[in-house]
Amino acid sequence: MEPRHDLLKSSSDSLLLSLLERQPLYGYKIVKELEEKSQGYFKLKEGTLYPALHRLEKSGLITGKWQMLPNGRQRRYYFITEKGLAKLTTEKTQWQDFLQAVRLILEPYPSGR
Amino acid sequence: MTSELIQYLENIKYRSRLNRPDDTGVMSELKAHIEDKLQELTSSGLTEAEATKVCLGQMGTTQLVARRIYEAYSQGSWPQVLLAAMPHLLFGLLFILNWWHYPGWLSIVLILTLATTVYGWWHGKPSWVFSWLGYTLLPVLILGLLMLYLPRVWSMLTLFIYLPLAMWWLFRLIIQTTRRDWLFSSLMLLPLPIIIGWYLAVSPEGKFNGTSLQRLDYFAPWIGLSFIALALTIAAFLRIRQRSLRVGLLAVSGLLTLTLVAYYTVGRLNTFTFLGLVLVMWGVLLVPAVLERFLGYDRLTGLKRRGAIGDSGGEVDRRET
Repeated sequence: MEPRHDLLKSSSDSLLLSLLERQPLYGYKIVKELEEKSQGYFKLKEGTLYPALHRLEKSGLITGKWQMLPNGRQRRYYFITEKGLAKLTTEKTQWQDFLQAVRLILEPYPSGR
Repeated sequence: MTSELIQYLENIKYRSRLNRPDDTGVMSELKAHIEDKLQELTSSGLTEAEATKVCLGQMGTTQLVARRIYEAYSQGSWPQVLLAAMPHLLFGLLFILNWWHYPGWLSIVLILTLATTVYGWWHGKPSWVFSWLGYTLLPVLILGLLMLYLPRVWSMLTLFIYLPLAMWWLFRLIIQTTRRDWLFSSLMLLPLPIIIGWYLAVSPEGKFNGTSLQRLDYFAPWIGLSFIALALTIAAFLRIRQRSLRVGLLAVSGLLTLTLVAYYTVGRLNTFTFLGLVLVMWGVLLVPAVLERFLGYDRLTGLKRRGAIGDSGGEVDRRET
């Protein structure tokens, strides 16, 4: 099923921060990781990833550094900052509370009730 | 990389209206991403043409990507907002505090305006410089008007040499600003209808004399207030990310300020003059947008001449207004 655009938009910052919490990544790799880890659920228009990353960078939540590859090409790796980690912790708690509340409403009552 | 992909990147660069230091980094990243994507697709057995088609489909349209880039970079920081609103605040204070009487204060404000504009213009034309730039045009205009009052030979020189030169300089300035973003040209020219409105209110006969000075003194607080309204407009403009909202803000704020001028001058601006000023205001907003379309064609034609875009590229990709 295709994810709803507004849901993806509101969660994109948390998703990106969460991926970068595990390891520094460059744009193309982020797209791949997002798709793989969500089993193909999250497929964003790849060009729109960079504005989202730059917005996070401007807010001081991540930082980017160009790195030269052995073949002479350059890639920009993104690292999560302390501020980003703190923001991610808060957002994770908010998401978990939200999901738990939604589950309580949407899931059927346990059998026997 | 195929000409289609080069055109794709060029269009994003053109539409996103980035300032030069930002644009190099953003475009290099997008280019690196496309190269990785093409490599992966061609290794999986696709031809270059097929890989290009898939790549373009998955990257997103130039409008979408450019709009997101614009929104990520367009918002000014609070120091930039303060700097951009400063010339309007300074001119507002000149009138509210009645400092416009003193040549010393006037000279300080004009020198500060000129120095800040020159500094900003030669240091990458940041978004805050364009509100200063508008006021730099003011002394040129005033000097031209004053020279018309000089003896006949001087007024002829003004009419046939000074004014055409000043207009040529103004036109070049507008073209250079429009190349960066037509909205900055509108921002730069925004005080023009307001200043003309006040000029017509204090000198309805078209000549500035003693009575005009008395009227100027009487209207000074309201003149100051209209400049403060412009300062607030600039502050909101720089904080808003969405382009369509920025256009709407300039249009609404310009008209409201003009209405304020008409309201406080109680009958000095007749309906015909007011409508004329509204037309000037629309001109300030629309002429730079139209000019940008022409410059856009010129630029894309230049790219084709250099071979960066194939003629088979089809439709010319225009900027969104």
